[in-house]
Amino acid sequence: MTDRPSPYDCFTVADQLIDYADQVLLPEQTARVASHLSQCPACQEQVAQLRELSVQMEAIEPAKPSPALRNQFLLMLEKEKAVVAAAPVPAPEVREARIRTMWPGEVSRWAMRIAAGVALLVMGMVLGQQWQPENAPTVTSAPIAGSTKHAMQLANALSGDASQSLSASDRIQLVDNAVEQVDATGDPAVQVLINTLNFDPNSNVRLAAANALYRLRTDPRVGEAFIQSLTIQTDPNVQILLIELLVNMRERRAAPQLEQLANKPDALPIVRQQAEYGLGTLI
Amino acid sequence: MAQIQANDLDQLTVLFDRYHLPIFNYLLRRTNNDRETAEDLTQTVFERLLKYRTSYQPGPSFRAWIYQLARNAHADYWQRQQHMHTSDVLQVERQGGFGSSAFDAMITTERDQNLHEALALLPEAQRDILVLHRFQGFSYEEIGQQLACSAGAAKVKAHRALQALRTIYFAS
Repeated sequence: MTDRPSPYDCFTVADQLIDYADQVLLPEQTARVASHLSQCPACQEQVAQLRELSVQMEAIEPAKPSPALRNQFLLMLEKEKAVVAAAPVPAPEVREARIRTMWPGEVSRWAMRIAAGVALLVMGMVLGQQWQPENAPTVTSAPIAGSTKHAMQLANALSGDASQSLSASDRIQLVDNAVEQVDATGDPAVQVLINTLNFDPNSNVRLAAANALYRLRTDPRVGEAFIQSLTIQTDPNVQILLIELLVNMRERRAAPQLEQLANKPDALPIVRQQAEYGLGTLI
Repeated sequence: MAQIQANDLDQLTVLFDRYHLPIFNYLLRRTNNDRETAEDLTQTVFERLLKYRTSYQPGPSFRAWIYQLARNAHADYWQRQQHMHTSDVLQVERQGGFGSSAFDAMITTERDQNLHEALALLPEAQRDILVLHRFQGFSYEEIGQQLACSAGAAKVKAHRALQALRTIYFAS
């Protein structure tokens, strides 16, 4: 009798090698496989390979899709909501009520939002024009004029009179397209997107604006805007997304706001949890 | 899900937040690391979820149901690819397993890359079961429910798939 195990011995433990490598066998089964392995280099190699493969599979980090996926989803959701809202309803007066609830009840808040949006935009533009570093080149007036015009159009579409006729899905589309047209840090369109994030009445448009701004995060205003926005958002989805984005941006200045949110008694438990997670990651 | 069925569609955002990453990663492994296709298919899953929301029956877990939608979306994609195979060589070249995963080498390590390429060589059914068990954390019982077999049979299939992957991976 030799020390080398027979092929039959290998066959009897073959089914258990994966569980052995994963350490999920019962003690007596583990002992039996270990005893076989001590005499069988081929099965030893197999176990070593299985363990290496497991380690490598566990080491693969989950991939993140591009922010466009979320915006496409929000767009689809708004379209479906429009379809549901337009579906025939039994009583005609419900139709009338639907039209009313979109506007007059909200008019004073809207006026405030529009005024705040325009004021912020104008202030940003005035400050931007007045404040110039001492050695700043002055040849950039033409592109700034172009981007200012684009920003004004965008501001009008998103928060001005024209926005009354735009559906939420249209506004999401506008926000999404705006990112492609922003060409330099300091573009006034960033401020328009910040206003949309803070003041748009629809939470899905606000989510789209947050995603759009995240793509423009090299602009220093984006991090500050996310931190400020965290204190005024009340929708849990927007709060959670903002925390996620601030964590991704390693924005440590958000710590006080996160702490405030983590201890806010009327915030949803999931929001408080996310805020605690954000705090733990950032500090 | 009951709220979504009652047309409270904003609740779908909660499901999107919870499931889009795992579903995207599941589809990424099933499509041999083709990010663009995985994103398109993830979008399709949520479109179908919305479209077929009334057909969801409470009972089996929602997680199993949404993965079934993902599996079906991938199967439809795979069938379309097979049709295209004979008609559009360029397109297949662009989306083929090795071709696209080679482009992703810049963002994944070489070791990850080797693993993805070995996974790409497995038959579809074996890749599915390995991705569910090893990457998505499904138990054999849950996999058995999804694939209409017993937990024991699911375990045997998963072990065979892992051994097949080991052979391919260490052969090179």
